[in-house]
Amino acid sequence: MIKRVRELDSSALIASKDFRDFVEKQETEINRGISSLCILSIIIQAGVEGSHGYQILKDLEAKTSDMLVIEEGTLYPILRKLEDDNIIKSKREQSGRKRKFYSVTEYGKKIYNHLAGFYSKLTEAIGPLFDININLKGEKYLFCPMCANKIELTNLQLRFCDVCGHNIEKELKERGLKNE
Amino acid sequence: MSEKEMSNLIKEYLKEVKSKLPEWLKDKKEHKEILAELEEHIWSKAGELSETGQPTSETVRRAITHMGTPSSIAKEYKRRGTPKFYITEEMWPAFIKVLVIVFSVIIGISIITQVVNFIFGNVDFGELVGGIISGIQIGCLSAFAIITIIFVALSMEGYFPEDFKSKKEREKYRQELERARKEGIPISEIKKKPIKPFMKPVGEIIGGAIVIMIGIFFIAQPIPAVTSIIDPEFLLYLRFAGMFILIEGILDLSRGLIGNRQMFAQQIIHGITIGIKLASISVVILMMNRPEIFPILVVNEPGDALVNIGIAPEFYGIFRGIAGLIIALVALSTIEDFYKIYKAEKYKK
Repeated sequence: MIKRVRELDSSALIASKDFRDFVEKQETEINRGISSLCILSIIIQAGVEGSHGYQILKDLEAKTSDMLVIEEGTLYPILRKLEDDNIIKSKREQSGRKRKFYSVTEYGKKIYNHLAGFYSKLTEAIGPLFDININLKGEKYLFCPMCANKIELTNLQLRFCDVCGHNIEKELKERGLKNE
Repeated sequence: MSEKEMSNLIKEYLKEVKSKLPEWLKDKKEHKEILAELEEHIWSKAGELSETGQPTSETVRRAITHMGTPSSIAKEYKRRGTPKFYITEEMWPAFIKVLVIVFSVIIGISIITQVVNFIFGNVDFGELVGGIISGIQIGCLSAFAIITIIFVALSMEGYFPEDFKSKKEREKYRQELERARKEGIPISEIKKKPIKPFMKPVGEIIGGAIVIMIGIFFIAQPIPAVTSIIDPEFLLYLRFAGMFILIEGILDLSRGLIGNRQMFAQQIIHGITIGIKLASISVVILMMNRPEIFPILVVNEPGDALVNIGIAPEFYGIFRGIAGLIIALVALSTIEDFYKIYKAEKYKK
């Protein structure tokens, strides 16, 4: 965010190089940590057809209200890393502009669910530090009490968390989603 | 500005990106695909920024600015390994491997050079030892400095060990990993390769069966024509040795039948094997002290009869030396069993 701010007043804190450098570095670090997860989320939302690099960035800007800004060229190294780790896969258009479309793999979905769960629980936990409330959609998801994996409550046949193997029947019963 | 000129602007930018890309990407020719993707992105962005939807020189320039500097793109490609000191975790095993190989070569060359000098009388014994130590010190220190600099530079460029492999080798490695994942074979965290099975059961079964047969042969002593001319005390020792060999064979066979399933059972059997091997030393000690009963069989020429001439007293020393060597070898062979017990611990996970 600070990168976008222009120096309007020479007495303002932002005019101090030390202040600006420190804040810019911290913002970059925070963004770097979550950008892969957000990109993954955008790709998952694009479904099986997937999405190409330019569209991913547009969606990222739109869905984060321009808050999560990454230099556009750096998107591609991130995509390459995710593809190398078998989290996403790519397919080139057969005709037209022959753009590369990225979609998530089955393994990538599991990685995403776990990281999204961890991130959700983390933001919920640290929220009070900043005097903000985070309400996780408990009616839609269950967060594994052992590893924070995000489990969709659409499949009630589930008995175990597929990341850590924790038996989640107790949690489902507590919510009245499973009979005793 | 014409489309050609806009195209030149983009080409200029992509040329700079290419020059900044890490070498491992250029080697793989993958950079062509990367540059094509960036070009596509710039055209799309330039079109979107333009009011008419058609890219202009101004919107192309702005689109290029949005892309970020070629250095920042390259930096992101280089941000590949997991930091560990100044060398990435991925490059660390290769670093250690290269150090071990180079150090071994340096130590070998230092020793051989000084020994040759000593043999030809160029140096005395004190100079020989001093020469070896200083040679190893200087060689290893220089090699350590050079190798470390190289590996730090490679880590900063984002190299992984697989970047030094051919496409064919990488594909083979990928297939190996995939097969291991499917078959549930654990993958080494250090080498990033499927862990080889703890043992080869078929080999153990065949080996065990052969050892059992040898043991039975020593116990049964089925050739009376030979045993009748050997001292009964020696035959008794031979039966004891056969008993130990038989037990070892049975243990080998059992390990082969258990296979890679029960690591705890493997450890127990190796533990018993250590006990048996050490106990068998007692038989060799007994034989060692009775060289006069050791048979040396020769064919007596006139009647072609087999005769036991025994060991001549002047060779008793050699006999005891050989027996001592056998004791040392048996004791040393227990190291393998201790190692297997330690190794099995890792396979339990």
